Amino acid sequence: MLSLQHISKYYQTGGNKTFVLNDLSLDIDQGEFVSIMGPSGSGKSTLLNIIGMLDEPTDGYHYFMDEPVHQLKEKQRSALYKQYIGFVFQAYHLIDELTVYENIETPLIYQNIKGAERKALVADMLDRFNIVGKKDLFPAQLSGGQQQLVGIARALIGKPKLLLADEPTGNLNSKQGEDIMELFKKINKEDGVTIIQVTHSEKNAEYGSRIINLLDGRIESTTTL
Amino acid sequence: MLKNYLKTAWRNLWKGRVFNAMNIIGLSVAVACCIMLFLTVYYEFSYDKYHTNIDKIYQFYFTKNGAEKVEKATSMPAPLTPAVKAEYQDIKYITRMGNGGTVVRYGNTQVEKSIHFVDPDFLKMFTFPVVKGNNTAPLKELNDLVITEYAATAIFGKTDPIGKSIELNYSGEPKAFVVSAVVKDFPGNSSIGFDILLRYENTPEYQEHMKHWDWHDHTVFVQLNDNVKPAGFESRLQNFVKKTFKSTIADMKRDGAKPDAQGNVYTLNLTAFAKNHFNTDMDGLEGNTVNKSYVISLLIIGAFILIIACINFVNLSVARAFTRAREVGVRKTLGAGTWQLLTQFWVETVLVCLFALVMGIVIANFALPGFKATFRSQVSMDMLLQPVQLVVIIGLFILITVVAGLYPALLMMRYKTVLVLKGTVNTTKPGKVRNVLLVTQFALSTLLIVCTLITWQQIDFIKKKPLGYSKDEVVSIPIGKTVSGARALELFRNQLNGQPGVVSVTGAFDNMGNGKDGSMRTSVTGFTYKGHNISTNVQGVSYDYVKTLGIQMVDGRDFSPEFASDSSAIVINEKMAAQLGGKNVVGTYLPIDENKPSLIIGVMKNFHFRSLRTEIEPLTLVMSGYDINYVFVKVRPQNLSQTFAMIESKWHQTFPNADFAGSWINENTERQYRAEQRLSTIFISGAIIAIIISCIGLLAISFMIMVQRTKEIGIRKVLGANIAGLVMLLSRDFLKLVLLAAVIAFPVAWWLMSQWLQSFVYRIEIQWWIFALAAFIAVAIAFITISFQSIKAALANPVRSLRSE
Repeated sequence: MLSLQHISKYYQTGGNKTFVLNDLSLDIDQGEFVSIMGPSGSGKSTLLNIIGMLDEPTDGYHYFMDEPVHQLKEKQRSALYKQYIGFVFQAYHLIDELTVYENIETPLIYQNIKGAERKALVADMLDRFNIVGKKDLFPAQLSGGQQQLVGIARALIGKPKLLLADEPTGNLNSKQGEDIMELFKKINKEDGVTIIQVTHSEKNAEYGSRIINLLDGRIESTTTL
Repeated sequence: MLKNYLKTAWRNLWKGRVFNAMNIIGLSVAVACCIMLFLTVYYEFSYDKYHTNIDKIYQFYFTKNGAEKVEKATSMPAPLTPAVKAEYQDIKYITRMGNGGTVVRYGNTQVEKSIHFVDPDFLKMFTFPVVKGNNTAPLKELNDLVITEYAATAIFGKTDPIGKSIELNYSGEPKAFVVSAVVKDFPGNSSIGFDILLRYENTPEYQEHMKHWDWHDHTVFVQLNDNVKPAGFESRLQNFVKKTFKSTIADMKRDGAKPDAQGNVYTLNLTAFAKNHFNTDMDGLEGNTVNKSYVISLLIIGAFILIIACINFVNLSVARAFTRAREVGVRKTLGAGTWQLLTQFWVETVLVCLFALVMGIVIANFALPGFKATFRSQVSMDMLLQPVQLVVIIGLFILITVVAGLYPALLMMRYKTVLVLKGTVNTTKPGKVRNVLLVTQFALSTLLIVCTLITWQQIDFIKKKPLGYSKDEVVSIPIGKTVSGARALELFRNQLNGQPGVVSVTGAFDNMGNGKDGSMRTSVTGFTYKGHNISTNVQGVSYDYVKTLGIQMVDGRDFSPEFASDSSAIVINEKMAAQLGGKNVVGTYLPIDENKPSLIIGVMKNFHFRSLRTEIEPLTLVMSGYDINYVFVKVRPQNLSQTFAMIESKWHQTFPNADFAGSWINENTERQYRAEQRLSTIFISGAIIAIIISCIGLLAISFMIMVQRTKEIGIRKVLGANIAGLVMLLSRDFLKLVLLAAVIAFPVAWWLMSQWLQSFVYRIEIQWWIFALAAFIAVAIAFITISFQSIKAALANPVRSLRSE
């Protein structure tokens, strides 16, 4: 589903190029659960952002769902993104002014889905994540774990094929973290959603089917579990 | 979708309610000001536009290219109109117009009404539709009378006035007229105002006037044929002028007249009636003319305030953009398109603006009565509902929401999503746009402060300038139409004779300053003396005029009842004496009336008998030939109010049917500068509002800056900075901007105000310290505003601010 070929990302500083990603190639198939690991500054987040089309590589070819992303215009890219990708953040990034319900509903609004249908979809999602009782609360009224749960629900509401998670458990305690990882595993297995997560934790990485270790913008090693 | 936008918008607004409240207060005050100012401007510009032929109507005036100055005069001789009409095909309609007042008697009703003496063409040219009676030729017969609905109700009540005979007394003897038509009341924004129309032939001594081409006493309006250009017509008129006014032209040439570009010294010209309301270039026009620059300055002040409020809006939104940037980033990752985000922000802006608009209308509604009284404005809130205004309001509204809403939104949109989500967007960069906007705001405010100070100084200067006569202890009483002048003066003089507190009593043709009756009279006469044309203002007076007004004599004496010949003698002022050749003019005879030369018995020191806008002109006091329209009473300086009350009661006692409209002359002279005072009030209010709104913006921005610099402040404190130093540090950047703004405003203010001062003959010099004071005021206000935040920030415990990182 996803293919990165010879991807580089660098910044020009003076006469030198500072590479964040250096000629990196990577293929990910439908249904995989990939964990990206590596020390700080190894380019994990940049890689994830490029995959998520939040960032653009300086060089290289990027194919997603058989579309050449590197050739697409902003609008087409955004359409592709809207349809297939969901994002989960370390800092949850829920919209403070919106309730749990409305946060989950927002992506559907941007996909121009009708009100009645939205209602049904959000209700299903709330039900599935057992947060029906919290639907009218604002993010500030929830614990970190609960907020991340809402973040995941929001990422999944558009039925994405690919879920990107940037250290989803980074701000959570270990119990909450475990719950989230279990949830990921379940989503991956039951819904067939491809997941790519960036993590610092060996333990969390092992929930995935493949671990990619980055160092200085290159893939150092790949472990298939 | 929209519901969602509204919901988020509302919650966002509520979250930033302190800022948004400031925003809304600033904006709604600005909206209220603009509504009132712009409506006033619209009203002034709408003057006379109800006449359907307005673009084809012109008023005649003569231009005299004299040796020293060019004079424009609108008064015409009576035979001119028929002669011009007979000679020129260009004219479609032409009418003379003479104004007057009359006592109207019908049954037991007796009221004073104003008359316009016109020719029948008048009703074909101007749009005064007949609502009742003869609508084809309402002024066909000489004794036909046309009346407005308003006056008809006042005289006839509910009875049908058509065909009724009423008695008018405007010339000393009553005459009967028959009401032939009632015309619709004209709107308030009309230059031409009357209660009754009569045929011009009914003016006193009409037949005699028709024989004299040099008796100029009324105005003439003409409507040209559709294809006639006014300039072409003017040049064709010159034949007529050369033929008819041969002797005038010869006299002028003898006195060294300077011909115009076409070589003419005396011309008959046209001034467009459409521009009548703003025509301050000449006297003798219908209605109260208004200086266009006054109206434009209202428009500019309104625009200034609106701009300042919009700048606030932008600055506050930009300041908040930093907190909103994360939301924008998140929404982008959730699939929001640029347009969807822009719409969301626009909806928020629309909500704020809508709220401000409604509040502004409410404020305007409450403030309107005071505004109308202060600025003599005729506007009303329902004027807002006219299509033009609605379109303008909606247009401005959309423009403001787009400009003020989209700029901050676009700014937020530019932030890199990835960086925003990481929380590493650099928010401390100073923001050039913000600084430019702040400078603009304070430049406009400083400009208004300077204008306020200078206007105020000039008005004070005028008020305190000695006029050359005593204005503080003299009461002026308009006599009115119900009693005849000279007799009224005698009666009242006898009444007051021997009253304690009264020094002397006199009467005159013209008032000093603007009395409560609102009338102004000017009488100018010219004659040839020693081969020169002499022109002088003439004031008809009674005995004791010089004494009552405390005018000083330079030579000779005042009129005295002891000399019987004084009734034909004259007293002149120094300016007049200078015109006659200077020294020893007392005892010489002047041929003002060719048959009966007048003896000069005294020369007065120059005094300001007109407003200080003009130089002192030659003046001649005469005892005969002029009506007495005003009584002047000089009183002793003790118990002024008591004496005034005594005079009033004596007046009512003497003339039970007449109104008492007496006032102190110093009130009258102050009334002459009402326009200036209104202007200064507008400047002051404008400046105060502008400053307040600017400060609201500054307060909000400083708050944002302090939040951003909390950490820096904490570090500096730990390193040993003291509070005063920190406050200075935090305020310095802003104060620099305010000073820069002041410097930018100074040349503009200087130029504007020197232009304005040009309209005064007696004026102040613009002093440098005015600018220094204005800058000081602006900086002080800005400093106080910033201090609220900077002191708080400097006092904060550094442990707390540093811990948060």
